[in-house]
Amino acid sequence: MEDLDKQFEKYLGEFQPRRPRALPEPAIHRQVWSRRLAAAAAITIALGASLWSVRQKPAGQEARNVTSYRPVVSEQQRPRHPLSIVVLTHLAVENPAGLDAALLAAQESRLPRFDRKDSALRILGKE
Amino acid sequence: MGDKKLSAAEVRHLYDQHGPALVAYACSFVTDAAAAEDVVHQVFLRLLSAEIVMPDVPVAYVYRAVRNAALNARRNGRRDALLDPQLSVFKHRGGNMEAALTLEKALGELPEEQREVVVMRIWSGLTLEEAAAATSAPLNTVASRYRYALEKLREKLRPYRKE
Repeated sequence: MEDLDKQFEKYLGEFQPRRPRALPEPAIHRQVWSRRLAAAAAITIALGASLWSVRQKPAGQEARNVTSYRPVVSEQQRPRHPLSIVVLTHLAVENPAGLDAALLAAQESRLPRFDRKDSALRILGKE
Repeated sequence: MGDKKLSAAEVRHLYDQHGPALVAYACSFVTDAAAAEDVVHQVFLRLLSAEIVMPDVPVAYVYRAVRNAALNARRNGRRDALLDPQLSVFKHRGGNMEAALTLEKALGELPEEQREVVVMRIWSGLTLEEAAAATSAPLNTVASRYRYALEKLREKLRPYRKE
């Protein structure tokens, strides 16, 4: 009896039910990729903008300084290289003495002098 | 106890492994291979889209889900198609289309619990113990159902067999 069943099971195995059509690939994959791309683009833009801003700031400050102190600071006295936040930060971390020296040098060339005859502050002080 | 959520890969694996058998099973409710395929497809799409907590034996859950979906499809007025060789659920390896159609019809005439255990055993490759676990029935009961089902099918398919 068991042999008969085995044989019949084997015979039934000759019939194969139809295979249903494949399941669709979930659209989630595409959404995830587009989201990742958008996020990467946003991060890149934000980084670029902040870097650009950091590099532009000293130049902008310089421009303002030049406008403010035009009567006092001559072209020759203006520093050749703008003080960059990156450079100052680097100096502060690596070489505090160097930072002091740099600030001192910058102060001499950027800030108005009080000890000159034509110094506005001196004139004001006399008045 | 033992319940878990299936990942998409696990659902796809289940579909590859049991999809054809489930189509055969569903077909006995809707008697239309295309509708049966739709039912199985829908059940698995639902499994993919929702995080459904599976019981210990996912096959059992899937059989239940396909059964319910097939009964719903039948209730919702899906027509019972005439047996058409082009719409046959089964293909015979030797190309005996008539035997394939007879098998389909004979399976449809079996009581549901017998049909279920035959499909699970022959086309899903489950052992009788696994079929018992899947149907929550005692092993002896499942074994009896299986034996009765084989006898009936053997009788119907006798004209096509070379013994």
